[in-house]
Amino acid sequence: MAPHIRIEDVRKVYRSGKDEVEAVSSVSFAVQAGEFVAILGPSGCGKSTLLMMCAGLEPVTSGTISIDGAAVTAPRARVGVMFQDSTLLPWKTTLENILFPVRIQKRPLAEYRDRAHDLIRMVGLSGFENTKPHQLSGGMRQRVAICRALITDPDILLMDEPFSALDAMTRDEMNDALLDIWERYRKTGLFVTHSIREAVYLADRVLVMTRRPATIVEDLKIPFDRPRDHSIGESVQFNEICAHLRSLIEHRQSPAPARSAAA
Amino acid sequence: MASNFSEPVKHLARVLRGTPTFGRRVVLPALVAAVILLAWEYGVGLAHLPLMIIAPPSAVWDVIANNPGILMQQSLPTIEEAVLGFGLAASLGIILGTSLVLSGSLQKAFYPYILVLQLIPKVALAPLFIIWLGVGLPSRLWFAVFMAFFPVVISTMTGLMSADRNAVRLCEALTASRWQVFYSVRIPYALPHIFAGLKISATMAMIGVVVGEFVTAQEGLGYLIMFATSAAETPLVFAAIALLCVIGLALYGSVALAEIIVQKRLGVSITTSEF
Amino acid sequence: MKRLHPAIARCEGLSTFGLPIGLGVFILVAWQVIVRRAAVPQVILPAPTDILLSFDGILGVLAHHAWASGSESFVAFILAAILGATVAILLSMSKLVYEAIYPHMVLFQLIPKIALAPLFTFWLGIAAPSRLTYATFISFFPVALAMMTGLARADANALRLCRAVGANHWQTFFAVQIPYSLPYFFSGLKIAATMAVIGIVVGEFISAKEGLGYYILYAGSRGETAHIFAAMIVLCAIGLLLYGVTVMAERIMQAWWRG
Repeated sequence: MAPHIRIEDVRKVYRSGKDEVEAVSSVSFAVQAGEFVAILGPSGCGKSTLLMMCAGLEPVTSGTISIDGAAVTAPRARVGVMFQDSTLLPWKTTLENILFPVRIQKRPLAEYRDRAHDLIRMVGLSGFENTKPHQLSGGMRQRVAICRALITDPDILLMDEPFSALDAMTRDEMNDALLDIWERYRKTGLFVTHSIREAVYLADRVLVMTRRPATIVEDLKIPFDRPRDHSIGESVQFNEICAHLRSLIEHRQSPAPARSAAA
Repeated sequence: MASNFSEPVKHLARVLRGTPTFGRRVVLPALVAAVILLAWEYGVGLAHLPLMIIAPPSAVWDVIANNPGILMQQSLPTIEEAVLGFGLAASLGIILGTSLVLSGSLQKAFYPYILVLQLIPKVALAPLFIIWLGVGLPSRLWFAVFMAFFPVVISTMTGLMSADRNAVRLCEALTASRWQVFYSVRIPYALPHIFAGLKISATMAMIGVVVGEFVTAQEGLGYLIMFATSAAETPLVFAAIALLCVIGLALYGSVALAEIIVQKRLGVSITTSEF
Repeated sequence: MKRLHPAIARCEGLSTFGLPIGLGVFILVAWQVIVRRAAVPQVILPAPTDILLSFDGILGVLAHHAWASGSESFVAFILAAILGATVAILLSMSKLVYEAIYPHMVLFQLIPKIALAPLFTFWLGIAAPSRLTYATFISFFPVALAMMTGLARADANALRLCRAVGANHWQTFFAVQIPYSLPYFFSGLKIAATMAVIGIVVGEFISAKEGLGYYILYAGSRGETAHIFAAMIVLCAIGLLLYGVTVMAERIMQAWWRG
């Protein structure tokens, strides 16, 4: 089956005057429809840049990124994006923020109102439809951002460390919420994070990125079945995978255990 | 109840310290105002200051009560110049500021000049406006516009450029057009800056109006002040100054009021300054 | 931040300077051509070349008036700075006094003090001291007000730290509140720089025998528009110089602030 997202030999170089910074250096992988892939790596390894290129918000220096076979040159309506900052417009209510993409893309509002209410209910924010962002906590704001990302029913969700600004407990809650949403909607997902546990918990596949050079050093399939629950976090297997990934990031030396598979 | 003098004073001090902040914030300044007014009224008599130097509040009030005609007559041109001048400056300023931001090249080309024009002592050009437009209302009006226009342009441009980068990027990710980004994100984020600029503009408009009246010396409260000063009619001078203060405060106050109304509609705090 | 291809980056740098310069040149040339072509009388609008030529012969006079206006503006500005800071500190020492006086300071800042210029002349005569007093008066409020705001808004965590180590009211005031108020002080100073020049010029309009404001009024009454522009150029230089000095002082303060 043709991959939903295909990234071929993509490079990204920033130039300022005489200096050249290679943010992403020759990355290639593919994502199938309905797959949830995590890009894991330390700060500054270029993973966010890679995501922005997939979103059409940054141009590639060389190589191609194609979605549904067509090269990505600009943002697309069928691709939803979530940023680290929930980026809710402060003067709009929760409901208005969620319906913002509908307005921008000039779709008929009436058709999407029910969907908005469904999403609000699903993430547990019933009763908060008319509140302003400053009245919501960080976790609640990100939940509104999730609803906004899903309102137009995009095929693909690109998420750039959406939970890293939250405290540990809220983050765990959000991970569970995301898993539930995934069960329900089964979008294709690309999720950037620097949390190893988060990557293993959420994803079907984890791509490990390092910096200097900024490439993918491993493509690890996560063997847990869906639907997943909390308990997998306690299992020995889970922790072994995390340990392996950690050593990869720190030393880039350990040979891959038997479970890994190339895409 | 208290049998000696110190008790009520101590009690007042205790009350004042314990009163919720709002009470203190209103009562104390009001007390100070009352003290100043009383000192002004009676201090002038006590110190045997001639009426020519400082007119006590009662004398000023007399003048206002007994000469409504002349004061009204001179207030009208001033009000006209101030309101029209500020209105024109605000509208033209917002239009120019917006147009410049919409074109990156125009913005880069014009911005340094607008900045410099804001910083130079434009008051000195009042005589030039007399040469160009005579000594009537149009001259004073356009001088006021000239004085009040630049802060609005600068603050509009700064405001429109100050939109949260993430919000703009969000719109781009949603495939919004440039106009949609402008309308949905840049304008709301610009409002606090625009209002701050409008407040400065209101002050500048008043300066322009008064200086214009000083220099053209035909009509208006500024002219009245000059005239009354040279005739040593100090109560009239004070009365005219008082009226000018009222007009200036009213102009500024309407901007502040508009800001509060917009704030209520948006449901977010947009005031950037203390006052 | 987007980074650019080197050729585009060079264009970007070029356009930041090139565009304004280009616009300036264009305006000057257009001005010259239009004034000559349409035979606009010199009284209404002199051409740039006329203005340049008019400097010749009045250099001494201009210098004399420039010195008068410039020195007075500078002195008024310094006095306003010192007075403003002093008043701000004195009024902020007691919370009660601050709350009683602050609204009145705000009121005084908002009223059109420009209307008081003739009164100062009436009280203090038409010589330099009255202009100086007036200019200081109108420039001192922005400084005092800004610094009072700054003193009241010291970083809450820093204040809490002072309480935690047992600092008394004065120690807190001098060690934390005053340093934190400096940025506000400087933004007030920038306003004062503009106001001081305005005050001097308006004072000269009303009654003076020297200074660039007086000179412009005089040139205006004689229809010597080119001289008005010439004097204005000098006055702008003075105003920008004063503002520039303030900005530089602010930069020095910021460098100290950051360590």
